[in-house]
Amino acid sequence: MTLDTKGDFDVVACYQSYLGNHDISTPVAVFKALTEFVRQSTAPTMSEFMQTLDKASRAVREASEQVELRSIDRQAFQHHKAAIATLAGLDLFMRFVKRNSHDFALSEAQSFDQFKHNLLSRAALILDKASMARFKAAEIGSQFIHDNAVILVQAYSRVIMGVLSHAANVQNKRFKVYVTEGRPNSEGLRAVEELREAGIPCRAVLDSAVGYIMDKVDMVFVGAEGVVENGGVINQIGTYQIALVAKALGKPVYAVAESYKFVRVYPLNQYDLPACMPEIVRFSSRNQLFHNANAQTDEEINLASTNPFVDYTPPQYLTLLLTDLGVLTPSGVSDELIKLYL
Amino acid sequence: MDPSNKATPLTIPGAKGIAGSSGMGQPMSSSYENQWMLGDDKKHERRKSSTVDSNKENKDASSQPNASVQPPARKSQKSMTKAERRALQEQQKLEKERRVAAGLPKNAKKAAELLAKTGGGSSVKSGSPLSVAGTPDNTTASVGKSVTSPDPAAAAKKAAKKSAGATSTAKSQKNQVPWLLHLDASKRPDTMGFKDLHPAVKTLALYFSEYKIVGSNARCVAMLQTFSKVIEEHKPPADATFSRHIQKHLDPHIAYLLATRPMSLSMRECIRWLKKEMADIVEEDPPLSDEDARHRLMNRIEHFIRERITMADQLIVQNGLQKINDGEVILTFGKSSVVESLLLATKKKGINFKVIVVDSRPLFEGKHLLRRLAAAGIDCSYHLLSSVYVALSSVTKVIMGAHALLNNGAVYSRTGTSMVAMAASDKQIPVMICCETYKFVNRTQVDSFVMNEIGNPDDLVNTKPMFNSIHQNHPNPTGSALENWREQPNLRILNLMYDVTPSKFITLVVTEVGLIPCTSAPVIWREYNEEFGKRG
Repeated sequence: MTLDTKGDFDVVACYQSYLGNHDISTPVAVFKALTEFVRQSTAPTMSEFMQTLDKASRAVREASEQVELRSIDRQAFQHHKAAIATLAGLDLFMRFVKRNSHDFALSEAQSFDQFKHNLLSRAALILDKASMARFKAAEIGSQFIHDNAVILVQAYSRVIMGVLSHAANVQNKRFKVYVTEGRPNSEGLRAVEELREAGIPCRAVLDSAVGYIMDKVDMVFVGAEGVVENGGVINQIGTYQIALVAKALGKPVYAVAESYKFVRVYPLNQYDLPACMPEIVRFSSRNQLFHNANAQTDEEINLASTNPFVDYTPPQYLTLLLTDLGVLTPSGVSDELIKLYL
Repeated sequence: MDPSNKATPLTIPGAKGIAGSSGMGQPMSSSYENQWMLGDDKKHERRKSSTVDSNKENKDASSQPNASVQPPARKSQKSMTKAERRALQEQQKLEKERRVAAGLPKNAKKAAELLAKTGGGSSVKSGSPLSVAGTPDNTTASVGKSVTSPDPAAAAKKAAKKSAGATSTAKSQKNQVPWLLHLDASKRPDTMGFKDLHPAVKTLALYFSEYKIVGSNARCVAMLQTFSKVIEEHKPPADATFSRHIQKHLDPHIAYLLATRPMSLSMRECIRWLKKEMADIVEEDPPLSDEDARHRLMNRIEHFIRERITMADQLIVQNGLQKINDGEVILTFGKSSVVESLLLATKKKGINFKVIVVDSRPLFEGKHLLRRLAAAGIDCSYHLLSSVYVALSSVTKVIMGAHALLNNGAVYSRTGTSMVAMAASDKQIPVMICCETYKFVNRTQVDSFVMNEIGNPDDLVNTKPMFNSIHQNHPNPTGSALENWREQPNLRILNLMYDVTPSKFITLVVTEVGLIPCTSAPVIWREYNEEFGKRG
């Protein structure tokens, strides 16, 4: 396993290696990395175990918040987009451990090793469920697609790809898709390729052309990096714009997300997010623009790095949330979270 | 004590059969009020008879919501001026039409007898019940007399004479807005009809009615502590155990408090909780000894105060702090104890922020808050409600307190809150409400009239004198233009104390369990009541 200089298990590196696997979503990657950490942990007592666990989770969180971007390769972009999703995964894991440790504290019969063993077996179960979650959400989501529908999708989202392929292949529905380009990493074009391979008629549109084609669209599907407490979603930059236009023209917006993305964050507005870009908001200067000779690529890099990666869509612009728990209204998210935490 | 005393002050106490006259043609008052206050104990059954009557009478007279629009005491026709006689005539004509519409015989006397027979009493003939609400003995006699006397005017006169003792209260209740008669107003406590009251409760009632203790948290804590004292000193009679008797003993105290100032919604939740605790003590098997039951109740009360009010406030401050950042301008309305703690804690944390306090007549509660904030060294400014839009131009967040949180996510709070929330949401400024979970109530209200509290209308009278040409002829130019409002037949002054803010204007609610959207209020209420059910 990857070890850092101290010889301890480097959870951050492990987490990043899991992220490299394209298929795994961020919260699951976090969960897996932390499970590995537990497996490799040499802490002899419960309290030391909890301490090291806290340290590890903090390290993962800090790693995801760093904004050191030198290149705009997709890997790094995904990594930085994932700050919220990381929080969700961490939340999930800590909640899971605390619940089990509570049981452990109550029953003195268990030894610490037994506790760890139980923890690991339960974690494996959870990971299984998590991998199924995307399929379940896709199943539930695809029932909202009807024949001859025209759907607008934002750039590339694994869940949404799942929904569309489920509807086309399993349910044999016929529909057309508009995909927004999704600058600055233009992942929408990759989505178009995949959809073409699946035989779904699709077109790529500019991000700025969303208002233009919204009238032709029947419904909008968006994914989510995280679902916040009041039922809003945090997703790739541009989602808020699409939702606003859709609301203005009366088109339903369906957010598809697995339930492990629910996070206990309550943003009041765009700038209240953990992943906020202070330079954009406050007009502070960037000296780099003037230093490098290769001005053009630097311009692009700077645009990508100084602009936010995610935005927050308030719940009043979302029609429904399609999750693996079922179809929820935005206010239903809070109900679920409260029942979980109270 | 007579359980009907617990009903709204508009009911004639001591006259169970005629208790239906509380129904001013409005189904809201009796049955809904009784359901709300009595919970699901036995008294509700006993009340059902009178509420059935009142419902029947309501159906009869409900074609007109202001079936009781009457001057409080009718003078004899000779002493009335021509205009008043004309007004009286119109009124009687109206009433006759109503009677016909309701299917009663045209003659007032026959209609009265019919109504009296059904036990629904008659709001048509007994003058304003407000004037007779004071002393139970007097009113029983007067109403009884009016049932038998044929002439409604003479009966009213007798009623007016008999209730001379209560005219002082009557006078302050005169000239109430007719379509809001179902609302409660505060009155001076009247100890005549109530015996065996613990002096602490009497003191508390006096404090409440004089507005010496204001604010929902303060009133709740004071009430619970007083009840704790009553429980401590209560000695059950020889033939009953403490656990069984304590509820019966507390009921008249609760009724007395209700009769003075209408209870806040949070106080009612507390009382409901207390009754549940008392019922649980009775259920205990093997039965608890008196001392045990007493101590358990007192402990529970103390625990409730500590856990759901005091600690809750501290947690709310903690949770709210995460939402206030450097450089913010915060607007608040009125004076909420929790918001004050939050702002003081923010200052202590070293965050650099400004506060704008918005205030309104007649209570000017914001001035107290302003004084305290300024003393703590916070940068504050002060606006009246009329300039709230101007004040909002630089505001980043609005933080307000709540009196109660309703089931549909609406906030029931001091009048003016909804205006501030509406203005803020129009400007896309987030509105945060700080509310403890014990204030979550299981009722829904969509407007502010169906349930509210009326304050003293004379508080609104002290307007500044106007020296423009219109008032050149005013007999007393240094006085307020509204001073003699009671003499003006078409003028009523309304002083509502609370209003309802719809949930769409509220961004988030800070509670001790975390930050929640206001639409999740019923989930929390359910969780807490289930939990208490399990614990009990």
